[in-house]
Amino acid sequence: MRRRYTKKANWPSKNIKEQTSNESLNSQLDANIQKLKQLLDGPNDLVIREFLLNNNPTMKGSVVYMDGLIDKQLVQESILRNMKDFASNKKSYDTSKTILEVMYENFISIHSVEKGNTLEDALDGILVGKTVILIDGQTSALIINTKGGESRSIDEPTTEMVVRGPRVGFVESLGTNLALLRKSLQTSSLRFQTHQIGRRSKKSLVVAYVDGVVHPEIVKEVNRRIQSIDIDDAPESGFIEQWIEDSFLSPFPQMDNTERSDKASSELLQGKVVILLDGTPFVLIAPFTLGDFLKSPEDYNERWLIGTLLRILRYVAAFFALLLPSLYIALISLHPGLLPTDMALSIAATREEVPFPPVAEAFLMVLTMELLQEAGLRLPAPIGQTIGIVGGLVIGDAAVSAGIVSPIMVIVIGLTAISAFATPSFSLGISFRILRIAFMLAAGILGLFGIILVYIMVMIHMVNLKSFGVPYTAPFSPTMDRDWKDLILRAPMTILTRRPNFMNTKDVDSGSREKE
Amino acid sequence: MKFLYSNETISDKELKIAIPSMIIGVGVLSLPSGIASVTVGSDGWIALLIAGILQMGVIWLMAKVASSFPKQSFLSYSAKLVSKPVAVVITFTFAVYFICVTAYDIRMLGHISEQYLFKKTPVEVVMLAFLLVVVYAVSGSRVGIFRLNILFLPIILIVAIVVFLLSSKIMDVSNLRPAFQTDIKGHMHGLYTSALSYIGISIILFYTSFVENPKNIPKVSIIGVTVPVVLYIVVYLNCILVFGQVGTSNMLFPTVDLAKRVDLPGGMLERIEALFFTVWTMGVFTTAMMVFDVAILALQSIFKKIKKIHIILFLSPLVYFIGTIPKNTTQIIQFGNYIATSMYIYGYLIAIVLFIIAKVRKGKSNGKKAI
Repeated sequence: MRRRYTKKANWPSKNIKEQTSNESLNSQLDANIQKLKQLLDGPNDLVIREFLLNNNPTMKGSVVYMDGLIDKQLVQESILRNMKDFASNKKSYDTSKTILEVMYENFISIHSVEKGNTLEDALDGILVGKTVILIDGQTSALIINTKGGESRSIDEPTTEMVVRGPRVGFVESLGTNLALLRKSLQTSSLRFQTHQIGRRSKKSLVVAYVDGVVHPEIVKEVNRRIQSIDIDDAPESGFIEQWIEDSFLSPFPQMDNTERSDKASSELLQGKVVILLDGTPFVLIAPFTLGDFLKSPEDYNERWLIGTLLRILRYVAAFFALLLPSLYIALISLHPGLLPTDMALSIAATREEVPFPPVAEAFLMVLTMELLQEAGLRLPAPIGQTIGIVGGLVIGDAAVSAGIVSPIMVIVIGLTAISAFATPSFSLGISFRILRIAFMLAAGILGLFGIILVYIMVMIHMVNLKSFGVPYTAPFSPTMDRDWKDLILRAPMTILTRRPNFMNTKDVDSGSREKE
Repeated sequence: MKFLYSNETISDKELKIAIPSMIIGVGVLSLPSGIASVTVGSDGWIALLIAGILQMGVIWLMAKVASSFPKQSFLSYSAKLVSKPVAVVITFTFAVYFICVTAYDIRMLGHISEQYLFKKTPVEVVMLAFLLVVVYAVSGSRVGIFRLNILFLPIILIVAIVVFLLSSKIMDVSNLRPAFQTDIKGHMHGLYTSALSYIGISIILFYTSFVENPKNIPKVSIIGVTVPVVLYIVVYLNCILVFGQVGTSNMLFPTVDLAKRVDLPGGMLERIEALFFTVWTMGVFTTAMMVFDVAILALQSIFKKIKKIHIILFLSPLVYFIGTIPKNTTQIIQFGNYIATSMYIYGYLIAIVLFIIAKVRKGKSNGKKAI
């Protein structure tokens, strides 16, 4: 699994790479413009605005940008208007400076300006929404950050609703997301490390962490793995996740994703690393362990007793979501003796009409449930509800009346579905769905014994699984009982004065009760 | 600042849990009947207690020897004590012994599941499925094995306690009488029988090279042995209280039958012996996994050039084959008795001999220094 990171370099690259241009800028403005046009194949949305300097027809310049990617007002107000002033200005400037330096010092009123020397610098800038100023006779260009264009406003994330908590979610723009993170975590030790991802479509990726809290080894490992990424384009952080996860064979997610900035910032303070990718509101949090997946940011917003009860409820839900159908199969088909006699008899009576064995019955219903879930997900909200009603009520009821499944089976499946939705993480929910099938198969063959064997195998897999060097089962095992205050239980806030031990944070305490 | 998980060693806590996980296995399921059949009334606890103290003594000896050679494998330190060829023979014999214990565990599990879980499923299928899971476990990391123990042992102990509490309704105190009527011969017999439930404590000789603080090994291992000693006495008395001495001695696996008599409160589940045995599978699993792992470890130290996975692939069919040799219940019990006897004669003898040699050597070298 880890081999991926090392072996890749040996592969000879046979395919033809994208046409790029490392050549430096020509001193002839027309040649540069021609080359740019040629590389982009003269698209309609490329804007080239020419102007004269000091009204001198031999001193030409061009403002180049991509329409739609820039902040129009900014370009208008701060570049084009100033250019006009500059062109008509007859004042003489310090002759020791190049014309670009003069422009930079006197006329460009935008904060982020850099100098580019190659055609590729200019091209890359234009493609991400920067504005490039080229001057005749100069071999460098000013690249001005005028990124803009259409973007979504900050909303409450629809995938992670909370009853109580900030109604702020990440958006598709990296700049906004970084600002949101800074806003919710106002510390000077918040660090952002930028990477460029993608062969053809270059995307910015930021690794955020709190210096002095997170263990440096984790940051190093995250950065190392991100540098190994070599793909055309990363449209979503899921691509990043799959490139850098520890084991791609595991059914368990080894990183969490969230849209909530408050969750991201609180995880940063727990010694974790957040990975943000431009173009997606979902950020990754690593390392993540099993215990973390069963926590929800809301646990901390309510009082501790409620938080604790919700956590316990969630563990029960996880147990149901994983095991309920398989327990049904095992108890009905292989160990009816375990059930109380009355209950066994009544179940047998309801199953009398059912022509299938419990395994087939359970698989039929689980398949139906998966289909309903998938169908409901893809449809617009109002129709989705209809599907829920049609599927859940009509099919369930009709299946029972038709004698295809027993009523107990419908209860079991209903309970399983509800429990599955009570798991806070969608990715963990998916792994539960996979494992549920494995448990059901085992229960069909070996009954309770099969279930326990699969359970043991899942446990073996989990103790060998790591997320960025942190054991997946920590702090259950390796046991760190100090972390148990915030695991299944959620101790009162005044007691939770330590960062998780298993994250091996540099700064151990997150608070103290002794403060006057 | 070093990363917490960068070197994978076994902490005191992990060793403390590994020892009871190792000892608690199939033995306790039949133990009460074995003891009850040779003692009178409730006298079996005396033999169990003495056996437990003896085990503590033996494990202390082993731990003492092993901890005086920190971070060294059994082969390398025993070679220092009793020359290399002898050490290789001892290590190899231990490996054979551990393979037999694994096979016995797996066979016993298959046998009990035949009695309580399945009537139709062939025992070979059960054994094979279980063996494959054990193989999967040992092909992972060694630290993973110790982490599994931590996850499983609490569940096993909780289930034992739950059965004990639930059975308090059907206990009969008069079953405890007569007390102190057993003669010395009966006690000796009981002592011998209880040894079967302690097979495999010699793993301590092999695992010490991974332990973080070798100094604490003797103390930690004695604490570890206390857990099964207490559990055994409680389970034995529980069976006597419920079934009486005669009833217990007539059963094959009285501990499982105990669960059979118990109902969960509220009538949720009845006759939970299937459930009890299912959970107990975890206990048998941890035993089989560790014994198998130590067998691999021992062979690895002899054949350094062979890959671990190859050793596993070679041993697994062997274990399965040995497990299928006993044909019926009597032969399985016979097989168990052979293992127990060989442990008495061989395992303990080696431990004592190594301890004495180590003491003498140490005394000698100290003496030299003094001069």
